[in-house]
Amino acid sequence: MLGFSNLSLSNFLFWATQKRWFIYAILIGFILFLLPQPTALSQKGFTSIVILITTLILIIKEPIPLPAIAIYILLAQIYGGIDSADGIAKAFMNDAVFFIMGSLMLAVVIIRQGWDSRIALGILKLTGNKTSNIVFGFLSISAVLSSFIGEHTVAAIMLPIGMTLIRFTSSDLSKVKNLASAILFSIAYGCLIGSVGTPSGGGRNVIMINYFQQLNISLSYFEWMIKVYPFVLIQIPIVAWIINHTFKPEYKILDSSVRKLVIKVAKSRNMTGRNTITVMIFFLIFIGWVFFSETFGLGTIALTGVFLYILGGFVRWNDLNKHTHWGVIILFGATISLGTSIRSTGAALWLADQVITVFGSLMEIFPAFSDLIVILTTTAMANILSSSATVAVLGPITMSLVPDMIHIGLVTAVSSAFGYFTAVAAPACTIVYSSGMLKPKDFLKIGWRIGFVSIFLLMVYVNTYWVIIN
Amino acid sequence: MKILIAVGSKRYSKPTLHLGMKVAQAFKAKTTIIDVGEKISEFSSQLVELAQDQMESWDFDPPGVDVLEWAFNYLSDNSLIDSKQIETGFPKNRLIDDGEDRKLVYLSGTVCEDVNLILRNGDIISELREEVQYGGYDVTIVGKSQKRNMSHDLLQYINSSILVVNQHNNEKFNRVLLPIDNSHGTMKAAKYGIRVAIAYNIGIDVLTVLSDNGTGNDKNLNTSKITKLIRRSGVSYTNLEEYGDPVEKIIEKANDDKIIVMGASSMSPIKRYFKGSKPLSVMNRCNVPILIVK
Repeated sequence: MLGFSNLSLSNFLFWATQKRWFIYAILIGFILFLLPQPTALSQKGFTSIVILITTLILIIKEPIPLPAIAIYILLAQIYGGIDSADGIAKAFMNDAVFFIMGSLMLAVVIIRQGWDSRIALGILKLTGNKTSNIVFGFLSISAVLSSFIGEHTVAAIMLPIGMTLIRFTSSDLSKVKNLASAILFSIAYGCLIGSVGTPSGGGRNVIMINYFQQLNISLSYFEWMIKVYPFVLIQIPIVAWIINHTFKPEYKILDSSVRKLVIKVAKSRNMTGRNTITVMIFFLIFIGWVFFSETFGLGTIALTGVFLYILGGFVRWNDLNKHTHWGVIILFGATISLGTSIRSTGAALWLADQVITVFGSLMEIFPAFSDLIVILTTTAMANILSSSATVAVLGPITMSLVPDMIHIGLVTAVSSAFGYFTAVAAPACTIVYSSGMLKPKDFLKIGWRIGFVSIFLLMVYVNTYWVIIN
Repeated sequence: MKILIAVGSKRYSKPTLHLGMKVAQAFKAKTTIIDVGEKISEFSSQLVELAQDQMESWDFDPPGVDVLEWAFNYLSDNSLIDSKQIETGFPKNRLIDDGEDRKLVYLSGTVCEDVNLILRNGDIISELREEVQYGGYDVTIVGKSQKRNMSHDLLQYINSSILVVNQHNNEKFNRVLLPIDNSHGTMKAAKYGIRVAIAYNIGIDVLTVLSDNGTGNDKNLNTSKITKLIRRSGVSYTNLEEYGDPVEKIIEKANDDKIIVMGASSMSPIKRYFKGSKPLSVMNRCNVPILIVK
């Protein structure tokens, strides 16, 4: 056909099949452009909404690599006339992107330090051998640690500990299916719950802080913790209870497997001076986050830590380079720049107005209704997109919804961690899923229960505790 | 010759593995067994890799290695490969990333020169296509999928011959059914059919399906060449001539006790994509193993 060989035609068809969602996204974009532009919306605002919709399709379906999606976002904004190349580039790289970069690199350093053995011993000392206590122990330790060192890092550290305990209980997974689910979900959900506790718990928190700063709103590390950490502590026992009752473990006591695990970790290498220094550097990073993040930014401090680790020879650049997903970093930079454009072009305000037009009367009668809309939208998007990308694109819109931007911004950030329903919602869930011991339907089986309870708790929490402390 | 056998789970892959290895032996082929794991979201792929590195330090293999290990042991237990235990082998399962988005798996303490084990992650068709291109395989052997699109995509995009194995009665076939027509691929299909027949010590039914009106214009020009080829190879054969719809006749003649060996469609890929093809229709509807030769 037209001089093309069968092989080249076949290759083209394969390409078209693989990239069909990219083709659909572009077609949808063109169709949207052909629709009449809303009068209350500027041309730039309209363009940024079209780019937002096509970007969401690309991020959800991943027909092209993430860095290519990032480039698409940048090019579409420039060619779409939203801003000049310099303007887009300025919004592209900021402290939130520094933080995501630093956080991914810190994960490599921390995971390599062999803290897992000591954490395992710590959990077992606290919980003893009762299964329900062990589930509670895994969940609470994961939650507390992920508040400070990032959910993905904690999930990677905790996963082998949990899997070893499961394997020591029975090598036949079918005999310990519920136990495996209970332990693995306690790790994943613990990481999710804890990740909102402090600004450094996850990239999405830093993205929100960044949006606050763009609007000259100040929220310190401590203020964030005072507002959000009690919610983490409330969730821990409730979620542990739900996990224990959804997946009733086959064994109530894990006596021999706990002993085997203790023996295994006792044989592992002792803490060295270098390990102590890595802990000390991390402690310095934490102090920096708490006391200096408003001055220097969370990302700058995270990168300072990375610099010290490289300088001290605690990690090799090759190792960092190999395990840091630069594509993710570039994509977050691009989505943040898109979020900024959505706000600066007035598109965020227009979208928020549409929500108010539909639900305005309900929001007037029940002020908490706006919280519910934001929580449900953010939760839904976080489960199909990614929590950080959700905050990056939704943040400017939700913050235009009500006058109290800190309130609604924090509600957005917290509910973006409700990625309980799918394995792709958050890195912690994907990491645990990669063990091969869980099925997608397991996430749904427990996800709806915890999701429902978390949404209810957050609604009550923000409309009682926040009212009191304000 | 190189053969690629795709396995997916311990539960469903036994027939694929068994028949695949027998065919590989028939062709004296170098065999690779591949497991394609689920696609990992790119957002978390690097973190998952980091977590799996961590799991390795606790002596856990990534998902998929257990399936490959089971496959290797199954072949060894059924004397389909000659595996040796070596004292100097790897003390534990070893995965080597060769930089091509694939991992070579070396099982602890075993060595087998006949079989390679490969682990990949991603969309099954993309990964098989990549692997076939990378390894230059002649035949890809897969189990029959319940998904209709899967057969279509296999035929459309995998650049090697395809043997699709059904889950039932795979070892019960007693003849090779060789549907032939005037296309160029028929001769190659006949050569493959003969080798299968020799390996299993069975005969071949050479099937020509003519159109209902029987005008004589569709007389098969390949029949005499093929029968000559079969005769020379010492395999017993019968010539069957039928009138009607080729797909219906092939399925009817295959019954439940033949292995079908037929050439791939010679239509252009674009036509095939929209209209389908006879091999695809037969593959979707038949209950016996089918080797489509490209």
